[in-house]
Amino acid sequence: MTNPRLSAVLKDTQFWVPVAVLVAGLLVLWWIR
Amino acid sequence: MDPLDAGRLRRLQLAGIASGFTAGAWLGAAEAPTKMVTLGLSPVVISLAMVVGVFLARWSLPALLRGTSAIRADVRQAPHLIVWAVLAGCLWAVANTLTVYAIRDIGLSIAFPLWNANSLLGILWGAVFFNELRGAAWTRLLGVLGGAAVMFAGATLLAVASSTQAPAGHAARGVAAALAAGALWGTMYIPYRKAYLSGMNPLAFVTFFTVGELGMMLSLALGGSGGLSGLVTQLSAARDVLFWLMLGGFVWVLGDLFQQYAAKYVGISRGIPLSNTNQLWGLAWGLLVFGELRGHAAATYGQVIGGSLLMALGAVAIALASATGAEHIRWQEAAERERARYGIDPAYVRAALAGEGTGGPSRQRTWLDWTLVVGATAVFVAFGFIARVPNLALSWGWVVPLTLAMLVLLFGTGWLLWRTTRFN
Repeated sequence: MTNPRLSAVLKDTQFWVPVAVLVAGLLVLWWIR
Repeated sequence: MDPLDAGRLRRLQLAGIASGFTAGAWLGAAEAPTKMVTLGLSPVVISLAMVVGVFLARWSLPALLRGTSAIRADVRQAPHLIVWAVLAGCLWAVANTLTVYAIRDIGLSIAFPLWNANSLLGILWGAVFFNELRGAAWTRLLGVLGGAAVMFAGATLLAVASSTQAPAGHAARGVAAALAAGALWGTMYIPYRKAYLSGMNPLAFVTFFTVGELGMMLSLALGGSGGLSGLVTQLSAARDVLFWLMLGGFVWVLGDLFQQYAAKYVGISRGIPLSNTNQLWGLAWGLLVFGELRGHAAATYGQVIGGSLLMALGAVAIALASATGAEHIRWQEAAERERARYGIDPAYVRAALAGEGTGGPSRQRTWLDWTLVVGATAVFVAFGFIARVPNLALSWGWVVPLTLAMLVLLFGTGWLLWRTTRFN
């Protein structure tokens, strides 16, 4: 992947919504196990 | 971007809606093999075995349907989507593991509608991020929102009806797990929609999706089993049922492929509720084939029938509220935003939104495609040979018509998709 595209991914606010939900999901999993 | 011809848009919407219903049938049936598993297996092992089946299916089916050369061509157009696909795979793996815990703690019948609330989240993300339902007439808006609400009410009624079978467990933990799974699955559609607005073919997307899925699942399994030796010991102890779990994963992939096409052609606000009719199919398998709820009071059956009717009614309302030209123009605006942000070829994005190819490489299969197909089949056959047939009372008289109905949907919708989009 070219750097401008990776940089565009990281600057895309829509990218951080699923990342935040994934982290929250991992925390719930860690809590219930 | 020029507006899409009204006739073409109608045909694409029809293909998307049929894909949503077919996804429901196959995603619901994916639960059937997992019911054959002897209880007592670790949730992580169950989820990992399913993901292995998913992985094999997701590398072999796209190779068979489209060929790896077409997938490579897709990735060259929008390589950044690999990051999104891997992220979506990670979300799926964590959600699937959470559902196994939820089923263990509060039972499938309560957990299912809770995580199916993902459709409400899908509508929210679709409207906020991808212009879905913008520019839609109020009747269509009402059809989608009202349909989703009615489906949710039906799902809850089904949960109440079968709650008598819920295992005694840790209710709070189970509810938290099911709701978290719904949040993860509802959010997973952000990468799906992103990919399809940008032009990626669903068959290419799922190939990379599954890398994130298997990677995340292996990490969870290794962490939860005390390392590699612990995991191998657990898998070895479960070897005679691994086939059924992998089969569940395989059936799930067939449903998910249609779900991807639904997300592409009718958007996530309509695609997710339609594929959530999987609860009806899961219930049909449970009631008719596995004899669940047998001997319960007539009121319970009344709730089951009422809940099922509500779900079906909601799904029909959503199916009838498909996107029109005005809304599709707003989708095109969202696609143009993606194209500009990531520097994608405009012709590629336009062709994908219209369900057309871009004149890429021919669909001839290579030795790599056949190696993937034969290899995946061989692994399934090998696990099939060492599988133990569980001692379950099944109503075979119902297995045949349900399977036939699924096959009719599979080939009927597959044909419609091929005729309308050539699987683009």
